[in-house]
Amino acid sequence: MSEPVVVMEHVSKHYRQGSTDVPALRDVSLTIERGEFTALCGPSGSGKTTALNLIGALDKPTSGSIKVEGHDLGSLGRGALSELRRDRIGFVFQAYNLVPVLTAYENAEIVLALQGAAPGARRSTVMKVLGDVGLGGMEARRPDAMSGGQQQRVAIARAVAAHPAIILADEPTANVDSETAEKLLELMEKLNRQEGATFLFSTHDPRVMARARRLLKMVDGQIVEDQRKS
Amino acid sequence: MLRGPALYKMAWRNLWRNRRRTIITLSSLAFGVLTAVSFTALTDQSLGDAIDLAARMSNGHVTIEQKDYRDSPSLERTVTGDAAMRARIAADRDVVKVVPRISGQLVVATATDSFGAGFVALDPTLDDERSFAPLGQISEGKLFAAGDAQGIVLGKTLAKNLGAALGKKVVYTLTDKHGEIVSGLGRVRGIVATGSPSADAALCLLPIGAVRSLIGYGPDEATQLAVYLRDQRRAAEVAQRLGALVPPGTVALGWAQVNPDLAGFVTVKVIGSEVIEIFVILLIAAGIFNTLFVSVMERLREFGILLAIGFSPGRLFRLVLWESLWLALVGLVVGVIVTAPLYHYMHVHGIDMTARVGTNRVEIAGALMPMVVHATIYTDHAIVIAIAIVAVTMLSGLYPAWRAARVQPVDAIKLGY
Repeated sequence: MSEPVVVMEHVSKHYRQGSTDVPALRDVSLTIERGEFTALCGPSGSGKTTALNLIGALDKPTSGSIKVEGHDLGSLGRGALSELRRDRIGFVFQAYNLVPVLTAYENAEIVLALQGAAPGARRSTVMKVLGDVGLGGMEARRPDAMSGGQQQRVAIARAVAAHPAIILADEPTANVDSETAEKLLELMEKLNRQEGATFLFSTHDPRVMARARRLLKMVDGQIVEDQRKS
Repeated sequence: MLRGPALYKMAWRNLWRNRRRTIITLSSLAFGVLTAVSFTALTDQSLGDAIDLAARMSNGHVTIEQKDYRDSPSLERTVTGDAAMRARIAADRDVVKVVPRISGQLVVATATDSFGAGFVALDPTLDDERSFAPLGQISEGKLFAAGDAQGIVLGKTLAKNLGAALGKKVVYTLTDKHGEIVSGLGRVRGIVATGSPSADAALCLLPIGAVRSLIGYGPDEATQLAVYLRDQRRAAEVAQRLGALVPPGTVALGWAQVNPDLAGFVTVKVIGSEVIEIFVILLIAAGIFNTLFVSVMERLREFGILLAIGFSPGRLFRLVLWESLWLALVGLVVGVIVTAPLYHYMHVHGIDMTARVGTNRVEIAGALMPMVVHATIYTDHAIVIAIAIVAVTMLSGLYPAWRAARVQPVDAIKLGY
């Protein structure tokens, strides 16, 4: 396990609030390797989500460089960033964020469809992934007919279906009950172990931290502790 | 291979996420279709009727006459409408009938009185009420028969002023082809009541054969050849074509050149109707824009997510445009469904404005317009309305679509809704 998926070097991110400069991330350097199951943890405002947004090519750093599978995000245009997100990065959001007018099947299929995968291959992949996340038989349901936990499973299925280099999960258990949270974490852990999917969480949920094999503790926009579990 | 989820399907489903808002927007679109079709159909039919009637009150949709006749009308300025010439004109795909006419001024007198009048000399075997409206408005007696050299039909008011009842003798005086004064004897065979005060006071119909003999014309000579068309809207085009067929010194004029007053009236009515339709369409466009814009602004977070998972800005732009297109197409269908019964009623029964106007016909620029107005829309006008509705809806969707494509994913995802 030595192939780097994400390399951040001296990354800072500052926001402007009126005339005030607010540092959200300060000189962060970090490497995430393939197959990791890592959690960024820390109090609110510590920079976890900012780090995830930068790695996910949703935002640009004020300084420093970020590489995803060797692609320097700073050198890519809007279209190339869009393709990188589509092909190499999976997202799981706190509020599920499924497309409300699409069924569970269509939501899980959407990234594969955007990639132009053949319909047959799409179908077999999506059916397998939905089965893996425990939603077999619920393909035709729309988000408004599913529980929060089920919606988050669809979101996970959407994120892993296209076999991205890394899955960025921002507080994935924040909106579900404890039992559902445990099941979701088990599911993601299983996908990590069996499929080799690389996960990077942003969380302050102790359950996530307990399962993570690497813990990056953030305070005031800096990584203050990098703890690897055996 | 087309990449990505079917945008048309997503757009269709998005359309129904807020049913009430969509239904309100569809209602405004349907109202636009109804207004545009009704206005246009009433205008098309009433102006078409007026133009046809004017053509049937004078010398056709296209009039063939000597080049200088319009500036200086005279019985000396003639055209030759022999059978071969008429056949060549009648061979045009838009022409339904060609008839020779002689028209001019005369003085008609009885033993007690005399009046100046306009006359139209026609061939009763060629003309009927479809080519010359007054022939369908003979209120007493009938049209002179073929070979009746003395027959004459007078306008109702003219006959009354002359004291000329059916069967009475009248003498009419006019100048011949060479400028000499000649007189003919006529016997009143019919009285015509057109409803037009000017026509009823000064209309005199004569047999063309007798007039030709009297004024020294050849057997096929006439002042005009009146040409009738299937569709009056093609008059200018047909006039241009027929102009190439007629001998030098002869011209073919469309009805608008012959009757510029009516052409002006038609233009004013059409422009008025178009201005109203443009205002209606602008109001509808504002409503559609509002719907699409609010719909986009409500979904900024969703668009941010779509961008995050790999939608391109262009794809988002197309998604919103698809929503506009669906709105336009469904609005059009609803509009047609809502409009059809009203259109059918107005087409069959018309709108009776007699009570409001106080008469059943009004003379405008020489044409008698009936006060029961029917609605018939020309096919090309209906197509233009459909295209305009779709185009306006799509244009209204351009800015919301652009706004959706400009979403910055990180900013949109931060939004709390």
